[in-house]
Amino acid sequence: MTSPLVIDESQDDAGRMISVLVIDDHPAMRAGVETVLKSTEDLFPVGAGSDEHGLWHLVRRTRPQVVLLDYHLPGTDGLVLCHRLQNAVLPPAVVIYSAYADSSLAIAAVAAGADGILNKSAPATELFEAIRSVASGAKVLPPLTAEAVDEAEAKLDEEDRPVLALLLDASGLPDVADAMGIPLDVAAQRVQGVIRRLRVQVPTPG
Amino acid sequence: MKALVRVLPPERILSAQWFTLFCITRSATAVVAPLLLTLQGLEGREVLLSICAIVYGGLTVAAAARWSSLRTHPAAWVVDIVAVLALIVAFGNWRSPFYLLALTTLVLPTTALAPPRAICFGAGFVLAFFAVALYVGIDWHSIATTARVQSLFAHLLVPLLITAALAFGAELLRALERERRRSERLALEAERRRIAWALHDSAKQRIHAASLMLSALPPNGDGDLSPVAAARRELSAATVDIETSVTDLRGPLLEGTTLGEALCECARRMSIGAGTEVSVAGDAPALPAFVAAHAYRVGCEALTNAMRHAQAAQVEISIRASRQRLELVVTDDGAGMPDDVRPGASGLRAMRNRAEAMDGELRIAPGQDGRGTVVALSAPLDRAGRATA
Repeated sequence: MTSPLVIDESQDDAGRMISVLVIDDHPAMRAGVETVLKSTEDLFPVGAGSDEHGLWHLVRRTRPQVVLLDYHLPGTDGLVLCHRLQNAVLPPAVVIYSAYADSSLAIAAVAAGADGILNKSAPATELFEAIRSVASGAKVLPPLTAEAVDEAEAKLDEEDRPVLALLLDASGLPDVADAMGIPLDVAAQRVQGVIRRLRVQVPTPG
Repeated sequence: MKALVRVLPPERILSAQWFTLFCITRSATAVVAPLLLTLQGLEGREVLLSICAIVYGGLTVAAAARWSSLRTHPAAWVVDIVAVLALIVAFGNWRSPFYLLALTTLVLPTTALAPPRAICFGAGFVLAFFAVALYVGIDWHSIATTARVQSLFAHLLVPLLITAALAFGAELLRALERERRRSERLALEAERRRIAWALHDSAKQRIHAASLMLSALPPNGDGDLSPVAAARRELSAATVDIETSVTDLRGPLLEGTTLGEALCECARRMSIGAGTEVSVAGDAPALPAFVAAHAYRVGCEALTNAMRHAQAAQVEISIRASRQRLELVVTDDGAGMPDDVRPGASGLRAMRNRAEAMDGELRIAPGQDGRGTVVALSAPLDRAGRATA
């Protein structure tokens, strides 16, 4: 894994250069995204990792503005990672970059606090636009239909449905803990449980 | 993989082995009986009976070898027993050397029948033999004081022991064979899941990466007609192909079994300890794999709803297939669908999605007199030429 060092000048150039961290378990995808990002003038890859370990290591070292996060990672779940990232100090903007982008994944991504969701089949221009948008603080999320929300609720236990409602209202972890009247660490467990239940089924090797 | 090579149903493989046992024992006893008689010194009628035994033994082996349906035909079994008992009657003594020949009439019936029926058959044989003994005469005066009492009981009990041993042996082998096939199928399914994962995890990601890089090339002015745009369209079609293959690979395996058999198996698996009676009527022998897999899943889901949620006591599955359509109806007498059924309940939604994927219709309604639920799937079968079929 080669990653250009963070260049301080780019930070000074705030708003012009956008640093992007790529987390994807497939080398072809990492290489592809890094290649196309380098072809632009305002986006640059600060590194690429393949798993949770790589993610935390690179986030700490490179402080990216945007993390492009694969949904399906070995041994972990991109959505849970997204949620943890959003509750870290100085959270980067997160785009869930997935081969699945149906409405049920959109709900899960919003619940996990993702700033954007993008299908891997989208052309490079859409990818660039999505990264620029989330870097400027905007959201790149499909509208949530009432049907999709019902469907997501059906996957949850009765007592977890308010948690989902809070998450869809963009409430942070402290808000959830406050509203539910539970300690912060319990709330974190509950939220991660909800996000796992909303998982979209993908093929597994077993 | 091994499972792809083996296509003989287990019953046929095993019945060939039992037939070998029959041939060996029948030939041996047909020769041993005349030998025993010769040792005692042959007399007029015994010469004739010996020839009869040898000829009959040879004929039965040849006939069973020529017409395999005779081996499992109850009428053939009965004729066989009657013929051999007739030899004993003609001999005039129940302690006849032809008794061994009579024992071999048990081999094919007891290994073909389920153990309880096989035991009943064996008991019938014992009664028939006892009747023959009574007919040819039992010397009741001397029997209680001589070794003949043991001999009579041995003659009556040995057939039962042979029956029990063969019947349970055959049942055990059948169970082992079923288990072997099940584990082969599980191995095959695991292999399919692995291939699905490899396709999804690797091939599809590479295609996405290639497509992404192509899309970043500066446009060369031809717009949608440019080779790059065409290449991207091909790649996009390839991901759809992969998606379809992944769905197929992750679907249930119906190779070698019909929809009816697969649903029977599904019902058997689910009804263990559930107290629900499931009947399957009709079958659809040759369905496109795509239709069979989806119909099977819809049937299983309806069964699950009937047994787990509606606590039905009886479930009837009916399968009808014409050249044009497949009709699958699952009727139960359970509690019916709850009034406030969640619109997005995942089981129902999955059934609807499958019906849509098959271009079919799914109807879920209360049963005839308001009790229970009827789930009816109707799907077209004229899918020749469709990419997904």
